[in-house]
Amino acid sequence: MIYLDNAATTFLLNSASEELIKYSCTNFFNASAIYGKGLENKKCIDSAKETIANALGATFADNIIFTGSATESNNLAIRGAYRKGFGKMIFSIGEHPSVYNVALELKKHGANVEFVGLQANGEIDYADLENMLDESVSFISIIHVSNETGAINDLKRINELRNKYCPKAIFHSDGVQAFGKVKINVDYFGVDMYTVSGHKAFAPKGIGALYVKKNKVVLTPIIFGGGQEYNLRSGTENVGSIMAFKNAVENFGKIKQNYDYVKTLFDAFVKELEGTDCKINSYHSPYVLSLSFNGVNGETLVHMMETKDILISRGSACSSKKSGNRILESIGLTNEQILGSVRVSFNKFNTMEEVITAGKTLKDCYVELLKKLH
Amino acid sequence: MNKVILLRIGELYLKGKNKGFFEKTLLKNIKKVLMPFDCNVVKISGRYLVRDFDEMDYNQIINKLAKVFGLTSLSLATEFDTSKENIENFLKEFKTNAKTFRVSVKRADKTFPVASNEYERYLGGIVLSANNHLKVKLKDAELELVVDIRENGKTYVLTESIPCACGMPTGTSGRGLVLLSGGIDSPVSAYMMAKRGLELVGLHFHSFPYTSAQAKEKVCKLAKILTDYTMELKLICCPFTEIQEEIHKNCAPEFMITIMRRIMMRIAKIVCDKYYAKAIITGESLAQVASQTIESINVTNDAQSTYPVFRPCIGMDKSEIIEISRKIGTFETSILPYEDCCTVFLPKNPVIKPNLEKVLKEEAKLDIDLLIEKAISKLEIIEI
Repeated sequence: MIYLDNAATTFLLNSASEELIKYSCTNFFNASAIYGKGLENKKCIDSAKETIANALGATFADNIIFTGSATESNNLAIRGAYRKGFGKMIFSIGEHPSVYNVALELKKHGANVEFVGLQANGEIDYADLENMLDESVSFISIIHVSNETGAINDLKRINELRNKYCPKAIFHSDGVQAFGKVKINVDYFGVDMYTVSGHKAFAPKGIGALYVKKNKVVLTPIIFGGGQEYNLRSGTENVGSIMAFKNAVENFGKIKQNYDYVKTLFDAFVKELEGTDCKINSYHSPYVLSLSFNGVNGETLVHMMETKDILISRGSACSSKKSGNRILESIGLTNEQILGSVRVSFNKFNTMEEVITAGKTLKDCYVELLKKLH
Repeated sequence: MNKVILLRIGELYLKGKNKGFFEKTLLKNIKKVLMPFDCNVVKISGRYLVRDFDEMDYNQIINKLAKVFGLTSLSLATEFDTSKENIENFLKEFKTNAKTFRVSVKRADKTFPVASNEYERYLGGIVLSANNHLKVKLKDAELELVVDIRENGKTYVLTESIPCACGMPTGTSGRGLVLLSGGIDSPVSAYMMAKRGLELVGLHFHSFPYTSAQAKEKVCKLAKILTDYTMELKLICCPFTEIQEEIHKNCAPEFMITIMRRIMMRIAKIVCDKYYAKAIITGESLAQVASQTIESINVTNDAQSTYPVFRPCIGMDKSEIIEISRKIGTFETSILPYEDCCTVFLPKNPVIKPNLEKVLKEEAKLDIDLLIEKAISKLEIIEI
């Protein structure tokens, strides 16, 4: 099988699975227990926080909150920061549903929510953002790398705009598709909160984290209970998954080197498609390739590829059940281009041979399908 | 004193010499749905009784039984040995919050010494003295207290009757093959024919890769919901992609749907032969879509004449079909947005009143026997 749907999820690293088993079967103790074994696990969790903080370029270690998923992290970041008297909240049209739908929900309940549009290359429209910013803005959430198009937003530039117009506003970014793939430094970017996910980075499903800048953001919990995670995310600490997450992060390797390698995969794949009637929807992160094939249904292509044992996806898996595609629409694709769109997403373990085979096969499937349909 | 559930049966009484067969099948079906529970089912004259169940399971048991075809209603009852003393002692302790009531005595056991009317008045007096606030109301009383004195030496006291699914016990009318598309209508048709005692086999046509695996999963889910009523349901999945591609390639586009449906009928006929089904059931409703005009149905019927085609939704409005769909619990699944095979290669202008001669001419462009043979060789059987 050739797996090219890494933006949906990734496999669990062997070494990470060993940690998961170790801290689930042998060192399974409750990290909040007051006996030695519990305290040991607590220390392990703190060390995992340090690892993740380092990977994010953060100075402190105790500003990482473990959650059950990136969706939960995004919810905590937005709903946890939101309070009475909040000013304008700005999100991009290109957000993942776990941000976008929270924004819609807040709007429904009276929050002043505005959405910044996208440029044709998938990045947010910075001029549009600048027009929206003024001192009444309390919150900005802009995705770092788009899960649909791979477009990379310039967080530093957004931060500069924030500092110019509304320095008190909180700046959050969903970094799920960036973590372990592009270089991240939350201090350099100037973000106050940053969301990451385990299972998109070779760790287990069911573990996410939120970086929260100290002395800048005060969150209120959205889940109440035993007061774990600085009272921000109650629930027994998932020590097995946390330690597996730590291990996966320790195995990120050299970000720049991996990036360059995946770029060669991306380019090779695109090269195989030369001569086909398809549009490439972004040239940013080489980890995500969005394509629009003319005259066919992308879903059929996905299934045809599946019969050849190659897995790609149609748009993002999180929203594949819904018709239409908000993000592709806002970068200016026609309905037909949206219908004909597929997403191919790579990881650093994919081989050149796999990628060339997949590219060739996708081209063949498209040609075959066109022949059958027309 | 025991808590029991009393089950009443309907049309079976009309069945003369075959009554034994109907009753046996019904008992088998009741026992089957109650398999997950600790309880016993027995037959007493003209009724069934569920005994020895855990009160905690009561609601679940009722939900299951309310879907068994052949049962008309059920009641939770208190059972004790028949004697004047037992009946009166029980009623002395009977408490209720209702404001009006009546007592009805049913005396199937004619050896019981007091006549029904006289005993009703007497028992009413006992209940009144135990509940000062109550008033007797013979018509439309809030509470009807039924004292059912049966021939088996037991008396049953009950207050409430819960309607069941009625119909004939599943399996007593033979077996039918239902074409399940995944939409709203076909599960309703399946339900309606199962209600008339048909045991069902499902047939689903799928067009992978044009339709997704989820579309097939959705049909499995619908079939699973239907098993509440049908007991078992074998689902047969037939690949339809190649047939559609060939029609698309060789025939005039406006005949796509008509020819597809004729081929589906032929395949259904073969599946009926294979699985001993004696009727084909579809969800068609007259004039709902282009393929459901009289002319279209005629041309579809021409494809096979071995088995009758039952279309229980034929005279129903969409809203009526939806109402049943909601009632039987298939609606929410039916409206999940996965494409079914009929929406692939959908022509812009399908022929509404197809002419058989023209259809046959278009069909002649295909090697239909070979296409069907290939599809039949790839049938997939899913036990739900």
